[in-house]
Amino acid sequence: MSATWLLARRNLLRNRARLVVSIGGVALALTLVLALDAIFEGVSRQMTSYIDRSGAEIWVGQAGVRNLHMVASWMPDSVTDDVLAIEGVAAAEPILYTTDAISAGDERGWAYVIGLTSTASMGGPWDVVEGAGQPGPGEAVIDRRFAQRAGVGLGDQVTMLGRDFRIAGLTEGTASLVNSVAFVTFDDFAARRGGDPVVSFVLVGTADGVSPDAVALAIGSRVRGVSVQTTEAFAASEKRLGLDMSGDVISIMNIIGFIVGLAVVALTVYVATLALRREYGSLKAFGAPTGYLYSVVLTQAALSVVIGFVAGIAVTAALSAIVPRAGVNLELAISGESLVKVGIVAAVIAALAALLPIRQIAGLDPAVVAREGV
Amino acid sequence: MGALTLDVDHVTKRYGDGETAVTAVRDVSLAVEPGEIVLIMGPSGSGKTTLLSMMGALLRPTTGAIHLDGTALSELSESRLPAIRLHQFGFIFQDFNLLSALTIRENVALVAELAGLKRNTAREKATAILTELGLGARLDFLPEKLSGGEKQRVAIARALINDPALILADEPTANLDSKIGHEIMRLLRGIAKEQGRSVVIVSHDQRIRDIADRILWLEDGMFKDIVTMATDPVCGMSVETDRAIRDERDGETHWFCSRGCRQEYLGTLAADDSTDSTDGGRSAWRRVLDPILPRQGRG
Repeated sequence: MSATWLLARRNLLRNRARLVVSIGGVALALTLVLALDAIFEGVSRQMTSYIDRSGAEIWVGQAGVRNLHMVASWMPDSVTDDVLAIEGVAAAEPILYTTDAISAGDERGWAYVIGLTSTASMGGPWDVVEGAGQPGPGEAVIDRRFAQRAGVGLGDQVTMLGRDFRIAGLTEGTASLVNSVAFVTFDDFAARRGGDPVVSFVLVGTADGVSPDAVALAIGSRVRGVSVQTTEAFAASEKRLGLDMSGDVISIMNIIGFIVGLAVVALTVYVATLALRREYGSLKAFGAPTGYLYSVVLTQAALSVVIGFVAGIAVTAALSAIVPRAGVNLELAISGESLVKVGIVAAVIAALAALLPIRQIAGLDPAVVAREGV
Repeated sequence: MGALTLDVDHVTKRYGDGETAVTAVRDVSLAVEPGEIVLIMGPSGSGKTTLLSMMGALLRPTTGAIHLDGTALSELSESRLPAIRLHQFGFIFQDFNLLSALTIRENVALVAELAGLKRNTAREKATAILTELGLGARLDFLPEKLSGGEKQRVAIARALINDPALILADEPTANLDSKIGHEIMRLLRGIAKEQGRSVVIVSHDQRIRDIADRILWLEDGMFKDIVTMATDPVCGMSVETDRAIRDERDGETHWFCSRGCRQEYLGTLAADDSTDSTDGGRSAWRRVLDPILPRQGRG
């Protein structure tokens, strides 16, 4: 353990109040930054959760339709057979889709309503926590949190598509900040549309060893009047639209939070260094080279950022576990990219913040420092 | 440690420029010999600390030169001064200036590590010095757990750890009570006389006169009067050689606080060592002299 490490570590850890202020300040600031990043990431993931979890590899929709949100997609039901006839297609599952109001009791919200065939192998709920995963005639599978807020459960009524459905199942992970996903039978959905022989999307599964891109290309060239995208491209398109609509607000919040958080980190490190200016000055008087003082202060700053960063991650992880249980349709997703970004920027800011007072110390007259303090 | 001589040669220190310039030290010269204790006294603002700082390579003189055994400190580059301070000078400050987060052993060892000692060696050396100074049972205490006297002893240990030739002490007894102040003074005297180190002390504390070989009075940045101290062989008091009663005999010079002491000394010699010299009439003379010479030591 070098003299630098010893002094930096002791300066930080020995005094409990100083430790709480230094680490606590950095940890809270980085928690703010990480949490906002996690919210941003979580909201982004929620936007495409249905697409991501549909089980499909390719989405076929009405020509020009490239995402789910705020679109209407209607194609003749013959498209399903046309798609199924394409080489490399292993499964083709038609769904009906619309965005509609969902209400139960006094609770009202928006939902992606999905009409599923009775044999659907794709596009259905993926995390059924109560009841059935496949709705029967007159039944619906809805998001559990919506049901909780509405105070309803299995067997109760929920209204959408202009009629009542009996709740047959509750699902998890099917809600975002703006809407949830609800499932009814294909026939019930089609009946509400007047029985037209149409489908909204055809979800495609490909045969083993076949590239989804190649199959998508083949479908696009051989089936007329459709837009074909791999699930990845379809989700990216959905996310882009969502972020175009609401991302600016989230981004601005995120940037402000980032600046505030880093300002707090800088201030915390600056104050922690200033508190020890006299001691650093004394060391200078005794003959400690300026480089040694720099290394002690920078090590201390780095140490407080590392510990604060780890604490920040722990708190954010705890929040990401607690927040969804609090009945809020919010997911906090900590991404590796966010950790790297926040970690690097926090370290740089902390180093700069530490250099401000240390520069003053380097320029101080050691005689004055030792005798009168600073 | 090598025996080094510090020469201060016509040194002036001026702060600021033009009309606002303040001259803290004016054309001061001084030589400090190995093993010598020099006490610099003077009123507040007289330039004592500025002079001490220049002697310790903490400050550069505006004009003049400071030589440490022939090396002109004032001409060395800024980058070389920290090493000089680490190896050649030991600093003791009024406020102890200990690092609050380190134990006292670490406080002392750190300075040795900065001077290039390996960690374990530095710790062993710090342990030895602190133990010698009576702090062996408190090696792992934080400074906040120590009394003022103990803190100052740690500061002395830290000043000694790199085996410096010169100890520079700025008001070393100012924050200490009378008993502890005396203890620190004894320590400083031992450092000079037993270890052969030069000790320069800046202080207002009159008690330190007792241990000084030479007392300098600094006022308005200049030495007004240089006082050399001697010890009365009869009563043990410190006396200023310029003011004391002097007696030269057989090539030896003695200084006395009063004629009474001189007469007693001469009488003792004449009595062919038959007189009990344990007290040497000290108590009786003290009763007479105390009201007259209140500033001097009480033996």
